[in-house]
Amino acid sequence: MTDDSTGFLYPFIEADEKDPQALLVDLASSARDKATISRDLQRSSLARMEGDIVAAGRAMGERFVAGGRLYTFGNGGSSTDAATLAGLFCNPPAGRPVAAWSLTDDQAVVTALGNDVGFELIFSRQIIAHSTPGDIAIALSTSGNSDDLLRGLGEARKRGLLTIGFAGYDGGQMQASDELDHCFTVDSQSIHRIQESHAMIGHRLWAVAQETMRELRAVRRATPPATQTPTREEVGR
Amino acid sequence: MTVQTDHYQIADELIGTDLSMDLAQASLSLARAFHRGATLWVVSPQWEPHAHHVAVEFVHPVIMGKRALPSVALVGADPVAQTRVAVRAGDVVLAVAAADDPATRSLMQRAPAWGVSTIWVGFGQKPPDGAADHVLWVASDDPMVPATGRFVLMYHLLWELTHVCFEHPGLLTVDDEECTDEVCVTCSDEGRLAEVVEAPLELAGPAAVRTATGEEDVDVTLVGEVAPGDLILIHAGLALTKVEPS
Repeated sequence: MTDDSTGFLYPFIEADEKDPQALLVDLASSARDKATISRDLQRSSLARMEGDIVAAGRAMGERFVAGGRLYTFGNGGSSTDAATLAGLFCNPPAGRPVAAWSLTDDQAVVTALGNDVGFELIFSRQIIAHSTPGDIAIALSTSGNSDDLLRGLGEARKRGLLTIGFAGYDGGQMQASDELDHCFTVDSQSIHRIQESHAMIGHRLWAVAQETMRELRAVRRATPPATQTPTREEVGR
Repeated sequence: MTVQTDHYQIADELIGTDLSMDLAQASLSLARAFHRGATLWVVSPQWEPHAHHVAVEFVHPVIMGKRALPSVALVGADPVAQTRVAVRAGDVVLAVAAADDPATRSLMQRAPAWGVSTIWVGFGQKPPDGAADHVLWVASDDPMVPATGRFVLMYHLLWELTHVCFEHPGLLTVDDEECTDEVCVTCSDEGRLAEVVEAPLELAGPAAVRTATGEEDVDVTLVGEVAPGDLILIHAGLALTKVEPS
């Protein structure tokens, strides 16, 4: 890129500016302000959603204990956040790993479905192929309006999966849909700030699911041995 | 492990004063590199989705009208080999990785031989000073950091600030005389880092090496046998010493 190709975009800005110090101070201050906005949005979102997050996390924990699997999906940056979330469940730094994967992980599957049956079906077709009624679907969208996610959630709901949506702005069609068991809408107009809060909501869901699995194990251990399936640790003793 | 799974505190200060300055400087450097035609290559050997997230931010901006910028996630099994063939001098390599990640340490060490600048995003124990041109470090050793949006915030801000820099075209170019690096690659008398591309074809012949300024043939009689990938310091067409891999 040369000045010639970008100059027309900024005809009203001082092109002779040479000392970067003022800009660097502005950038640093802007970074701190945005981080504060992100922090406050994360805190207010978690506080407002706590009851629903606990309900969703408990339902997830119960399904995991019964052998359920988690599928996460999203588009663009949200697809990567969906993959990070699946990674937290299947390979956590602490706690019990459970079956979870992101439906954008396999580009052969995504492009085959996108090319042959249509992009709006890339997730719903995978739900049809993989899921059983005890499973869980989490879709991440900043707008709440992505057709491929809504189709995936609709298919998941039809098949008895627990359906959870993460959205932003006003929640869009996800918030309005009756196909979702839980919809977590982050009240912001910034895609970036919404995604940062989505990460914390996902983490909190994971923590509640872990706690639920621990509680259910305690309940199982308290039941009479005749009806109890030995845990792996007990078998090894 | 004693990690709490039931409660996670959101830090009061997600981006402190020092980190905000590091981010500002990294953003200006990155904007300048893009302005010169650089590609941003992204690796995250432990947390692959973060590499993809950074690349998609730059390639497909969330704000309509912002420039699409060249950025590619490198997520192959051997990040060093993949990056080595991908990068051109002047490019930027960004790693989202812990300080002890072996592939990232190797990449950062080789970067000067490839002529690329480096940005290292991570948490926990910090890499040593000078390990990368820009170290953007989350001041927490909580193992949950990679899954709680701290890195996402960091590279979102990097993207946002980089685009602010494009609104200051006068600051996107640096005059040569402004070069204030303590050991400037192009004007210093010090030995330059080189990576062996091909061993000598005949006895006592020169080895082909890659440096920040391109490929050249150097005499390696002082350092003995060399193999592709070896790092050496060279001066005036002569290999002076081998550099131990980090």
